[in-house]
Amino acid sequence: MSATVVIVDDAVFMRNILRAIIKDKGYNVIAEAASGIEAMKSLHDHDPDIVILDIILPDANGLDLLESILKVRPRTKVVICSSISQEPIIKKALDHGAKAFIQKPFTPEKVLEALEGLEA
Amino acid sequence: MDMSAYRDLFVSESRNHLNAFNELIVQLEETASDQAAINEIFRHAHSLKGMAATMQYDAVTELAHRMEDLLGRVRNNEIVFCPALADLLLEGSDLLSGMVTAIENGDQQQPNAASLIERLVSFTPPPTASGPPPEAVPVDGAPESPAADSPPDKHRFRQSDSFKSVRVKTDTLDRLVNITGELITTRHRLMDRARRYAVPALSEPLHHLAGLLRELRDEVFKARMLPFAVVAERFPRMLRDLARKQDKEITLQVEGREIELDRGILEEITEPLVHILRNAVDHGIESPDDRRAAGKPPVGVVTISVARDKDHVDICVADDGRGMDPARLAQKAVEKKILTAAQAYNISPQAALMLVCAPGFSTATQVSDVSGRGVGMDVVKTAVHVLGGTLTIESQAGHGSRFIMRLPITVSIIHALLVECGHLTLAFPVNTIARTIELRRGDIFEEAGRKVFALDGRHVPLKSLNRLLNQPPPHASSPIVPAVVSEAGGSMVGLVTDRFLGQEEIFVKPLGLPLSRMKKLSGGIITGDGRIVFVVDVSTLV
Repeated sequence: MSATVVIVDDAVFMRNILRAIIKDKGYNVIAEAASGIEAMKSLHDHDPDIVILDIILPDANGLDLLESILKVRPRTKVVICSSISQEPIIKKALDHGAKAFIQKPFTPEKVLEALEGLEA
Repeated sequence: MDMSAYRDLFVSESRNHLNAFNELIVQLEETASDQAAINEIFRHAHSLKGMAATMQYDAVTELAHRMEDLLGRVRNNEIVFCPALADLLLEGSDLLSGMVTAIENGDQQQPNAASLIERLVSFTPPPTASGPPPEAVPVDGAPESPAADSPPDKHRFRQSDSFKSVRVKTDTLDRLVNITGELITTRHRLMDRARRYAVPALSEPLHHLAGLLRELRDEVFKARMLPFAVVAERFPRMLRDLARKQDKEITLQVEGREIELDRGILEEITEPLVHILRNAVDHGIESPDDRRAAGKPPVGVVTISVARDKDHVDICVADDGRGMDPARLAQKAVEKKILTAAQAYNISPQAALMLVCAPGFSTATQVSDVSGRGVGMDVVKTAVHVLGGTLTIESQAGHGSRFIMRLPITVSIIHALLVECGHLTLAFPVNTIARTIELRRGDIFEEAGRKVFALDGRHVPLKSLNRLLNQPPPHASSPIVPAVVSEAGGSMVGLVTDRFLGQEEIFVKPLGLPLSRMKKLSGGIITGDGRIVFVVDVSTLV
C-alpha cells in the first residue's frame, strides 16, 4: 500500500510540481487543497497518511492549521513546506508536531528525502 | 526532474498573481490601510518569488523578493501605503510581467531590474500631513503570520483549483465547437433525407439525436464561458495610469464582473473596450477644475456594467463627463464633408451621436497620446458588428455619455433568418434585424430621389438586396414586397428581398481566402439539404 498524501499550497504551480516529484516515487496524492478550509475538508474526506503543508495560506496560518490537523487526526504525518527560513519558526513547527520541514525553493531530492525520513 | 516542463504553468500562474496584485494595489489606493488587502498583496509577491525560485528564474526571484520585503515593511506598519509606493510596486509588477513574457518567449535576455531594485530597497515614503496610520495592527513576533482569523473579505477573489477542474487548451475548445456545429449540420441533412425518402422509422431516433445535440451544444458553450472579470481586472490599473497622466481624478466602477461570455467574444471585445475607456478618460471626464466649475464633484466616475438578457449580453461604459452635443457633431460632420447640410438638418439625435463612429471623424480639439489620432470608434463599431452585436451611443451634453455594446453570448452557432435573393439563399443573423416587414406597393413612395417607406412615423430608405449583391431581380412583380429592416449599419434601412424562407439555427464557418476578402458577406453555412448559404454582413452592405 503506497502512502496517501494531501498537498496544501495556494499556488497550483507548487502543487503540480510537488505532485510530479512524489508520484514518481509511488506516493498516492489523493487530494490537493489551496486553503486552510479546503485542507481541513480533504483531511476529513480522505484521512491521508501524509499532509504537505505550506505556511502562508489565503485564509490560515500553516502553523495554526498544523495544530488543528493534529487535533482531529493525531496520526497524520505533517510535513511543512515553506520558504520561511527563520530558525524559530522551523523549531516552532517541529515542536508542534510537524515531522519534517522542506525548505522552498526545493530540489526533488530534498522533497523525497523528507518524505522517506517519515517512514523510519 | 526537468523543470522546463513547468514553464507554461509558471507563466500562466505568474500572470494570475500579477493581475491580482495590480488590481489589489489600485483598490488599496482607494481604501488605504486595509490590512487584509496588504496581506493579500504580500502573498502574491511571496508566491511569485517561491515559484520563480523553484524554477531557478533568479531575476524574477530577486525582484519579487525585494517587492515582498517592501510590502513586509508596509504590513509591519513601518511605512504607510501611499501613491508613490503604489507607483513603485506597479512599476515592479510591470517589470516582472516583462520578465515572464521573456521567459515565455524563451528569450535569454531579461529586462534589467537593477535600478528598480535599488529604488525598492532605498524607498522612503514622502512626508505626509496625515502621520502614521491610526490603527497599527501589531504582528506577534512571526513576520510571516497573516491575519489568520480575520473574517473573509472582498479581496479574496482568488480561484482555487482542485481535482474538480482541468486545464484545457483553447484550441481544443474551438475544435469542440466546430465538431458540434458539423454534427448539427449533419443532423439537418439526415432529417432532410429522412423526409425526402419518407423513412418514418428514422423520426424517433432523429428526434432523440436532436435533443442530445442541443444538450451537447449547450455544454460545449458552457465550457467556453469565462466571467467578464477576466478582462475587467486590467481596467482599474489602466484607467488609473491614464487619469494620472492627464491630472484627472477618476474612479472606475465595474458591475456584473461575474457575468459570463464566450471566451472568443471576450477576446474580441477587449480592445474595443480599451478604446472606449480611453475616450472616456480623454474626451469624457473633465479636469477637476472644470468639473468643480460645472458644479460636479471633482472626481469623475466611469462605470462598466455588464448585464445578461436572454441570449445576449449588454456591456455599457458610462461616464459622468462633459457628454456630446448631437448638433455640434452634425455640424462637424458637414465640415468634414461626411454629411450634406440637408442630411445634417434632418438627422436624428441618435444618428448624430453615431457619427463619432464614421471613419475620420474626431471631435477632439487636440490630439493627445491617450486616445490617439481620431481613429478608433469606427474600428470599435466594426468589431462589435463582426461579432454579430450592435453599438448604441447615448449622451447628454454636460452630463456624460453611455456606449452600449449588445453582444451575442456565444459565437459560431446563431439564429438566422434565411431569405431568398436571386440565385442565392442568404442568412441574416437575427440580432442584426430590427424587424421584418411585408410592404404593399402602395406603401412605398419616393423622397428626394430615394425609395422610402414609413415605419413608426419615420421615413426609412428602402434598398434592393438583389441589386446590392448583383442578383437578378425577382421575376414577377408580386403585390407584396418582403423587406428586412436593420439598423446594424448605424441607420435604419429596409432591404427588399425575394422571399422569406424562415428562421433556423445555423453553424457559421468563416470564409476562407479569397472569399474572406469580400465585403457584404461574413461567413458561410451548409444547410440540411447541402446548399451553401452566405451570412450577410449588414454593416458593410449598405
